[in-house]
Amino acid sequence: MRALRVAVAVLALVVFAGFGGGAAAVAKGRAPERWLDMDLQGSDGYSVHISSGPSGHLNLEVSKGWFAATYVTRDQLAAPDRVKAQLRGLGTVSVRFHPRGPVRQPTTPYCSKKQRPTLQPGLVRGTIKFAGERDYVRVEADEAKASIEESKRGSCRYASPPPEFDPRERDWASKFTASGDGVFFLARRYQPGAIPTGDALYFTETGELFKETPALPWLLIWREIKVPAPASTFQDAHPEHLTISPPPPFSGTGSFARTPESVFTWTGDLALQFPGLDPIPLAGSGFEPGYCLRESGCIDQHLD
Amino acid sequence: MGGRRLSLVAICLAVAAVLLGAAGAGQASLRRGKVEVQPARTYGYLDLGRQKGYRLVLYVPNKRVVVIYGFRLDRVRSENFGIRYSLYAVRNRGDLEQGVVRGRFGALGRVDLHFRPNGKVSKDEPPSGCEGGSETAKSGSFVGQLSFRGSGNYFHVSSSKGRAYLAHSPRLRCEPGRAEEVPPGSPRRYVTPSPLISDRHSIALFDASGNSHGRAVRISAVHQEGSPPGAEVQVGIVESRHGVAIGHGIYLEGGRGTLLTSLPGAHPATATLAPPAPFFGKGVYSEENQSWSGSLGVRLAGLKVPLTGPGFRMHLCVANPLKDRNGCEYFKGEPPADERAARPGWVLR
Repeated sequence: MRALRVAVAVLALVVFAGFGGGAAAVAKGRAPERWLDMDLQGSDGYSVHISSGPSGHLNLEVSKGWFAATYVTRDQLAAPDRVKAQLRGLGTVSVRFHPRGPVRQPTTPYCSKKQRPTLQPGLVRGTIKFAGERDYVRVEADEAKASIEESKRGSCRYASPPPEFDPRERDWASKFTASGDGVFFLARRYQPGAIPTGDALYFTETGELFKETPALPWLLIWREIKVPAPASTFQDAHPEHLTISPPPPFSGTGSFARTPESVFTWTGDLALQFPGLDPIPLAGSGFEPGYCLRESGCIDQHLD
Repeated sequence: MGGRRLSLVAICLAVAAVLLGAAGAGQASLRRGKVEVQPARTYGYLDLGRQKGYRLVLYVPNKRVVVIYGFRLDRVRSENFGIRYSLYAVRNRGDLEQGVVRGRFGALGRVDLHFRPNGKVSKDEPPSGCEGGSETAKSGSFVGQLSFRGSGNYFHVSSSKGRAYLAHSPRLRCEPGRAEEVPPGSPRRYVTPSPLISDRHSIALFDASGNSHGRAVRISAVHQEGSPPGAEVQVGIVESRHGVAIGHGIYLEGGRGTLLTSLPGAHPATATLAPPAPFFGKGVYSEENQSWSGSLGVRLAGLKVPLTGPGFRMHLCVANPLKDRNGCEYFKGEPPADERAARPGWVLR
């Protein structure tokens, strides 16, 4: 599992290095970056966004409310107006872009005028078939709205924070983290009324890599969820003891405590159920816990 | 304490250097008032080979002291590190400048050696920040009588055939803080243990010191914040017999169960110490009775020493990392690690 986590991290670096490399290429006068984006409506209220860019990867993002999952695989064509990718038993994307209407240069937040991309609207035609694990979402189309974004002087594509980000969320009073193989759990507690959604916030992110086989391409799946909750779910009145019991889709309780060995343990039946998956344990001896009080400092416990 | 005393010597020497510098300012590229002097020094070394896992060395740090020391590196459960050492120090009755080393270790042995150079000489430039000439080391051998058995007849040394050298370092003028400390002239200073454990960011610390069978004994155990279950443990044992200063020590990283304590704020506080071999048994501290009892002891080269008893002074610290940001810091008044590492027991050549 540790190797898997490392592999995920390495792959993520490769993916992001691909983005950065594109920007550098533009700065050196080489070809501009082009991104093909498609938006679709999935079943059960999920939104589906598919994109393919200069890194030669296809990203298929599924989102609804506080949940998001991104499926990344190799784009077999890596052409600016065509996409062909197998999502390892979950679906296929094989489309060609057809422009419709004039090129626009929309205003983009956090992006200077020089860096502003151009946008060619249009549609894609071909095959888009995707079914999430245990069919939690389905999407099937032979045509979809799409656009090609082109950046001439470095991409602003990742310049802006995600729209749901609230800067007040940084002002936590205490927080707890637990890192396991391919899993990261974050819990934050706030002063009453500091954020509008509740006095506690729970965030979990997972990374899962399926290696390439002779028959199947690699597939990387990131999943994340953020859940607001009342302060009563984050009990840390005792300075060295913490109990966390977030609301669904979390279940159970996690407990952080000091032992007579002066080791801090993170135990309990806390788990998270992502759509289409069995519950994922979020507590136990495989997690490295950390607990911080904004005014005092942090406790970080390392594994054996 | 020892480190402070050495610092005082260094300060006195620095003052002397300033006065000397005023007399011969023309030769000094270092500015007047900004130098300290590292006195000229002659020292000798003889490799006595290995016995029972210990590397044995005869070390003559200056003209006044002869030390025979042994140290042994251990691996506990293939990953934890440990070191054991034994030191025996006496007055040198020979003239080291002439290559003569004479020391009487009482019933433990004696040394009567003469250095014979083999013609090979190596030179080392003065350390950075110092000037005044190169250190010369003459390779060769010691000839004469050598017999040493150590405590409990644990070692048997009778040959002086090992690699040897006699080195001379000239008087150096150094920038403040660059000069090496003057090796102490008292044999006892070479066997006095200092903490090898850092207690900065420690969140559990137990320390007990006292006398056991005529020996000064100190045991310390520390658990650092964030580290896995277990604790670092150190024992220092010092005694003086018939003019021989003797020190034994051990440092090891013990695994799960080595140090258990009550939680912060709990009273009466308790601690249980049960390090792995060569320790044996278990020591129990109770704040309520102010007692340090149990079967805890340690086996070191030729010794089996109990580490508990009524005559010990105990200190237990259980720190909350969110309140005590620097941890227990019980040892902070003692010499820092870089000074301790320069002691003869730790000179690895």
